[in-house]
Amino acid sequence: MSFLEVFQYTKQDSVIHQLDPRSKMVLAITSAAISLMFLNIVPLLIILLCQIPILFLAKSVRRWLRSMKGLSFLLIFIIVFNTLLSTVANPFSYSVALTIRLIALMTSFSIFFLTVHPDELSQAMIQMRIRFEFAFAMSMAMRYVPTLAHEAYSIMDAQKARGVELDKGNLLKRIRNMIPIIVPLIIVSIRRALSVAESMESRAFGVSQNRTYLKRLEFQRRDWIVAFFSIAVLLYLIYFLSFFGLPDWMLWGFSF
Amino acid sequence: MPLIEFADFSFKYVGADSLALKRINLTINEGEYVVITGPSGCGKTTLCRAINGLVPHFHRGYIGGNVIIDGINTRTSSVANLSSIAGMVFQNPSNQLVTLNVERELAFGPENLGVDPAEITNRINEIVELLFLENLLEKHPHEMSGGEQQRVALAATLAMKPQILVADEPTSNLDPKNAEHILEIISSLNKRGMTVVLIEHRLDLVAQDATRIVLMNAGRIVADGKPREILVDDICQEIGVGIPKATQVYKGLKKRGIQLPSVPLSGEELAYIVQEAVLK
Amino acid sequence: MIKIEDIHFKYEGVYTALRGVSIQIDQGERVAIVGTNGAGKTTLVKHMNGLLRPQRGHVFLKDRDTKHMSVAEIARTVGLVFQSPDHQLFLDSVEKEVVFGLRNLGYSAKEAEERCHNTLSRLGLEGFADRSPFTLSGGERKRVALASVLATEPKVLALDEPTIGQDAKQKKLLAELLSEMNDAGCTVVVVTHDIEFVVEFFPRTVAMSGGLIVGDGKTESLLSNEAIIDLSSLSAPQTTLAASALRKKFPEVSNRITSVSDLEEIIVRLVGGL
Repeated sequence: MSFLEVFQYTKQDSVIHQLDPRSKMVLAITSAAISLMFLNIVPLLIILLCQIPILFLAKSVRRWLRSMKGLSFLLIFIIVFNTLLSTVANPFSYSVALTIRLIALMTSFSIFFLTVHPDELSQAMIQMRIRFEFAFAMSMAMRYVPTLAHEAYSIMDAQKARGVELDKGNLLKRIRNMIPIIVPLIIVSIRRALSVAESMESRAFGVSQNRTYLKRLEFQRRDWIVAFFSIAVLLYLIYFLSFFGLPDWMLWGFSF
Repeated sequence: MPLIEFADFSFKYVGADSLALKRINLTINEGEYVVITGPSGCGKTTLCRAINGLVPHFHRGYIGGNVIIDGINTRTSSVANLSSIAGMVFQNPSNQLVTLNVERELAFGPENLGVDPAEITNRINEIVELLFLENLLEKHPHEMSGGEQQRVALAATLAMKPQILVADEPTSNLDPKNAEHILEIISSLNKRGMTVVLIEHRLDLVAQDATRIVLMNAGRIVADGKPREILVDDICQEIGVGIPKATQVYKGLKKRGIQLPSVPLSGEELAYIVQEAVLK
Repeated sequence: MIKIEDIHFKYEGVYTALRGVSIQIDQGERVAIVGTNGAGKTTLVKHMNGLLRPQRGHVFLKDRDTKHMSVAEIARTVGLVFQSPDHQLFLDSVEKEVVFGLRNLGYSAKEAEERCHNTLSRLGLEGFADRSPFTLSGGERKRVALASVLATEPKVLALDEPTIGQDAKQKKLLAELLSEMNDAGCTVVVVTHDIEFVVEFFPRTVAMSGGLIVGDGKTESLLSNEAIIDLSSLSAPQTTLAASALRKKFPEVSNRITSVSDLEEIIVRLVGGL
């Protein structure tokens, strides 16, 4: 699952990290939209080349490369299968373009998720008028998923010590063997949820209509610049494509 | 005026067969440090929950009598309303940390109450200094030890500026050194004027700091008084409450006809009392 | 019974939990393992029953290297009681819960039932046989989890923090039970922070710190060693503190006093000596 790393927040001190999550959201959506507008190798490569400096600014190139390496098998698989099964004129060329588009799309969103702390994300959602309880539920999920994972391991240990052999037997037996893991996990989670709720209730969760926020996000000049620039590029490309179309050199592809 | 007042208070949880609390009468004044103890299932946790309104507003059930906290009847007030009067710290530290870093955690309670951000910042600075949290501020709950987590949970409760601190076995998941540290903090809060109600099994750790011990058994208060009076009472053994070793020695000596002049609660005290007695 | 030779263990990507631990535990011993959180105590115990395998070194059980034994196989000899009973209880009656473990280890239905019955009555849980574990209190659930391990009559019983959340009475019951098992020849190993529990019931103590064993010996001498107490994040028992404070004035007081009755004896002598 190492490719998921590229969607996981990493603490860094970078210009991109300092941007407001909302401007980064605009950046991610516009760059994803732009990648979706093309299906030729050359323009998609240009898009990807434009994204790499942003990764550089976010000090995350190495992480990105590692994830791409983890994904390489899947990407090659997509190219091979598409080439074999596709009915378009130049299937290989088409598959390569498709794969670059996938990478560009992933990169667009990874720039967002790599650099936005979950707390900032929920704060951004709240300021975009999403209910606090909902946004908070999301950040709590982030908080407790690792705890639950840890608990699942402890449960597996406890059952193994009682002679449950998790990786033995046929499929049916293996599924049956999951019951001693899943039942305690559910019960432990319910107990935990109750105890968490009790503690949150004791700290006045969800009562005040006028909840305050220690840190409010503020759109700064650099955020306006990023948002404005992203939208401008998108609009220009739409205008250009619909009136002029792509120049010939951009249409280049393999002849198979 | 008493800060906490239980008047003939009884409580039965929904679905339970018997009463968890039976006609409790208890008055606690400002500045006291009350340790509540008793065997498992004696009702001490329910008693604490009744102080900040978790009983009956979060844990539902049947009530008799009243609990008055700082002049407010808990029947008619919400937990949230009571949260800035009585702050609660629980057993399991990780279940009390609900955000992704310590600074947010400390802000969580005051934010919920709608406290002004500038004031929240002030409170955070104050508490960080008081509980030595400087180098934890940016940390994720997973990056902290159990002792650190519990310190943060305590701090997060204090950020709501309660008059009363209610702690339900806050040290039972911690190792002895961390437990002592948390109890030192609680004791120093009490010395600064905060009223403390603490549930604790290990009386050897708290008997010296407490101003009062309340013993409970089967939903009732069976003894209530100064530590040195309560701990020598045979009722402790009868209901199965462990007393400090030093006090045990005092009682053992008494049985053998040696009466020490005062009741020791710690090893050092015992040594001192014996020395004085021998040298006299 | 158990012989551990220079084992090393490192959790994936996290930290080194054991860096060269050797220990031998003989049949019928009672051993307490103490130390700070993260000292490697639980990791060591998990090596004893095969849940973890040493990355270097060997674990021998009755002179047999456990390398080629499965956890289920080791479980017949080494029973491990975990800190949280909630991690193992999943069936809707106490009886089924106890029978489940026995059946896994290969006992026939009839024998499992018999053993279950015996164990429950031994632990004073007869009345609970048909109850669902989820309706029991924390202390009771802990006893059910213990019952499910005891029923298999392991040669070695290892317990991880058995006294957490237990009151004085429950602790006493547990201690009595462990003594009884021990008298019957069972080796008892316990991981704990509860120093009073150690002092009263465990003649041998092993202190761990930073993945190493830093002390191994008689409980009374180990726990009067301040350096060891400090390293393992323990607090010295009140009796030891009293004894060492008394020794400053009365040099005849031995520095190895850990039990209440020893201390009483000393004081009687001091006071009576007037």
